[in-house]
Amino acid sequence: MSLLTALSRECAAETLKLLRAPEFLIPTLAFPVLFYSIFGVMMGRGGPQAAYLLATFGVFAVMGPAMFGFGVGVAMEKDRGWLDLKRVAPMPVWVYLVSKLFGALIFASFTLAILYAVGGWLGGVELDRAVWGQLVLLHLMVTLPFALLGLTIGFLVKGNGAVAITNLIFLGLALLGGLWMPTSMFPSWFQTAGSYTPSYHAGQSALALIGMGDGAGGHLSVLGLYTAVFAILALIAWGMQKR
Amino acid sequence: MAGNSNIPIEVRGATKKYGKVQALAGIDLTIPAGGITAILGPNGAGKTTLINILLGLVAPSHGKAMVFGGKPGRMAARKRIGAMLQDTELPENLTVKEHLALFSAYYPDPRPVEESLALGGLEDLAGRKYNNLSGGQKRRVQFAAAVAGRPELVFLDEPTTGLDLDARQTLWQVVQGLAEEGVTIILTTHYLEEADRLADRIVVIDRGTLVADGATAEIRARVGGKKVRCLTELATENVEAYPEVRSALRTGRYLDILTSDEVSTLRSLLAQDETISDVSVSGTGLEDAFRALTGKTETGDLS
Repeated sequence: MSLLTALSRECAAETLKLLRAPEFLIPTLAFPVLFYSIFGVMMGRGGPQAAYLLATFGVFAVMGPAMFGFGVGVAMEKDRGWLDLKRVAPMPVWVYLVSKLFGALIFASFTLAILYAVGGWLGGVELDRAVWGQLVLLHLMVTLPFALLGLTIGFLVKGNGAVAITNLIFLGLALLGGLWMPTSMFPSWFQTAGSYTPSYHAGQSALALIGMGDGAGGHLSVLGLYTAVFAILALIAWGMQKR
Repeated sequence: MAGNSNIPIEVRGATKKYGKVQALAGIDLTIPAGGITAILGPNGAGKTTLINILLGLVAPSHGKAMVFGGKPGRMAARKRIGAMLQDTELPENLTVKEHLALFSAYYPDPRPVEESLALGGLEDLAGRKYNNLSGGQKRRVQFAAAVAGRPELVFLDEPTTGLDLDARQTLWQVVQGLAEEGVTIILTTHYLEEADRLADRIVVIDRGTLVADGATAEIRARVGGKKVRCLTELATENVEAYPEVRSALRTGRYLDILTSDEVSTLRSLLAQDETISDVSVSGTGLEDAFRALTGKTETGDLS
């Protein structure tokens, strides 16, 4: 069969695998929506907080499927010998990775849709249609660096360890990057540390789009740099798989 | 060395070292198209290392391995190969049918999914999720996935571990059927009976080297003579010292003696040990040949 058939079946399989895994579904879908509803909508009471946190929680929402889908997913499938079988099967490894990315994007889109609906209808966030469009594109793009970071973890760490490490890095990056609340509410050393995280730059890029930041250009470049670094790390980790 | 794309497997002087451990110490092996070849060897003999080299998962430290005339693991070779690996689990929450449909999609000319289901005896389980299957059923799904792409060369690494007797015999028939269609099959197994029943050629590996290679009947006959089994108080070394005795090994309470002249062995045993009991004499089989070649009682786990 053609590569396209293989790719579409693989994408369908990856999406089904995620759909049937409640331990994946619930935290990736429910946590961003729940936290945003509390901090952004209920505590924001229609103020600028709802828009600010919509930009940053959108980043948080796509980080989950990207990091867990890749970090934990790849680590588990590596431990179970499934990755070996994929390497023996006549299918380029990129098909497997693109399908995982597809699965992560489907989930991210789903979570973003709910998040935007909560922000728009309940939080009173008003943006131009074009800005909404740019925001969704940016949020979905942010999947890539975090998927690559997850992939590196997945290759390097064993299954159960990967759950712990991914959680730690995921929550750490969310907090340090100011995705739950602005870093300006924290001490200066915390802000300095936060300014080095990819999550911070993703959040700031999204804020710039809705006119609440200091311009997107610089932050996007840093994000691009992070993407390149994580891609190289993932490649090195992949090379280490060949014994 | 020029590769011949019609020859499934050619290995020349392949070695593999993991740190200080010499997993393979120089293997030469050619497997032509067709037939079932069993690779046997005790624990840690290097069987799985050899298979992993042929699958392209591991690179040899020295020497060369070729699959269909080229480097193992390249796409052209992978299209002609199916594999059932050890210690492999498929993703839990896809159904049997979904798994087989996915595997089929990788190959240029796959079997219809219904046919793959039938080969694994999985017709009734098609809609069941992988994690709701028993160990033996999971092995059968892995087998069906290995043959779903209609491969010319199939690697079966311990295919019947965890299968009950009925399922094992059914699988043997399917494997034999594939071989009759001209599929080349490489089998490693715990069960010497399985190798005896299925394989037309047997390759024995011990400590990373090839210690025997020949037709199954030839390997079986290599030991020749008879096996004397008895309960005796005599020391193993004592019995081994008889000139006609090839080997003597303890199996539980019994002493198993391979001998080229069972009559004189019996005479010596009866003369030396008045309490000897439970004496039986039988022909030798593949298991005895294996013991004589490797000094081990069973093939053990692959490693």
